[in-house]
Amino acid sequence: MKLEIKIMSKLFFDHLIVLEEVELEIKKTASSREEREELWTLVDEIVNHKVLEKVLDKLPRAHHDEFLELFNKCPHDEQVIFGYLKGKTGQDNIEEILRGELKSISTDILKEIRPQDEVSTETKVSKR
Amino acid sequence: MAHDPARTTNLINKGKIDPEFLRNKLKLKSLEAKHSLFEKYPHVEKFFAERGLDLSKIREHSAKIITTGALTGSLLLTPPTLAKNIPAVVNAVKSLAQLEGAQPGTPKQETLLSSLQQILPQKVGSLERTQEKTLEQVFSQVIGVNAKATLEGEHLNTTYGYIGAEQHLARYPGDSMAAHPKVPQSDEGMAPGLGAWGYFARSKAALTPDLDVDEKWYAVVQTLYLPDWAKRQPFLQNWYKYRKVLIVNTLNGNAVVADIADSGPAAWTGKQFGGSPEVMNYLGGPRYKKGPVIVFFVDDPKNQIPLGPVDYNKVDALGVTMTQA
Repeated sequence: MKLEIKIMSKLFFDHLIVLEEVELEIKKTASSREEREELWTLVDEIVNHKVLEKVLDKLPRAHHDEFLELFNKCPHDEQVIFGYLKGKTGQDNIEEILRGELKSISTDILKEIRPQDEVSTETKVSKR
Repeated sequence: MAHDPARTTNLINKGKIDPEFLRNKLKLKSLEAKHSLFEKYPHVEKFFAERGLDLSKIREHSAKIITTGALTGSLLLTPPTLAKNIPAVVNAVKSLAQLEGAQPGTPKQETLLSSLQQILPQKVGSLERTQEKTLEQVFSQVIGVNAKATLEGEHLNTTYGYIGAEQHLARYPGDSMAAHPKVPQSDEGMAPGLGAWGYFARSKAALTPDLDVDEKWYAVVQTLYLPDWAKRQPFLQNWYKYRKVLIVNTLNGNAVVADIADSGPAAWTGKQFGGSPEVMNYLGGPRYKKGPVIVFFVDDPKNQIPLGPVDYNKVDALGVTMTQA
């Protein structure tokens, strides 16, 4: 059987992360395609490093190198990578655990990029 | 007067973040994330350094692996993937045979939905070439539009994904929502930035009806993630500029021909395509903000297919619930 290669540019964890509010802030700010794409790339960098850190936190050190090899070979393949992670961590719900932990990425980024005038410095109570 | 002038100024300014401020903040955050990972796991930094890889550019690496065929290694690790593809191919062939033998008088939209149900995988994601070829024939026969997943050697990163609502684009310098046509309900307003190709016209006077329609029925695709986007410039930019695409809502069969006028959405939004307010309104109604679609290039060398709704069947599909963001 002839192998068919699907073209895509995805990473195995893409479905776990939805940063719509960050996207909105970037859209409001960037005035050109180039500017917007540069900002998207920076967010991508944050996400990639954070996700890898969270994954490695869950994985015993003895399996890190093997996992990195797998990630290097098929960074897009969620079936293979999550299959591996389930096996090595013994957690069948590893995707859901990661999804929950990765939610903080959005909050962290928004806290950094949104001006601090949402909350009164005196009372720490939202003015909204 | 009971107001605080300083705070008022602050509140007015908060609506718009300075791009330089945002860039610096994100850069800083990115460095922090990198530092945190490599400090905790130095062997990870060593691993990437030894292979000349940059985790910041791992998406590019992913695209290269697949397009250069270096995927072999990972495919060997996943024999179930191959086995999984066989039923899809069989179903696709069956579906086409059924299409040819469809009862006369069957609403076309029903025929299309039935075919899609058999051809598409359960989970929204990239399609196999056989699935795409079958869909091309289905679209040609049912919708009447000659659309291709691969046209002139070009292929999107994915042809089956989620589309999200975009805003109107400024058509010319000084364009505003006061002058811009709107959709009847829940209009998204105008995007603060320009589309990928800048303004559609140099001035209001230079805005022809064709250019107006280009903005009205525009689509957004992830050109920035194409594996060879940076290398094949300016060819790819010219190729994608206002390129016509057929967008088919896989839940209700509504179809629209749109032109590519912007790049995006970002990979971490859970969406792969975007549509103008008019595109989204036609595909799923005024409350439709996100949903699964197929996007193929329209093969229209003589520029005969107009942008806008493809009214191949006026009978609506039954009881289809729209996905909303």
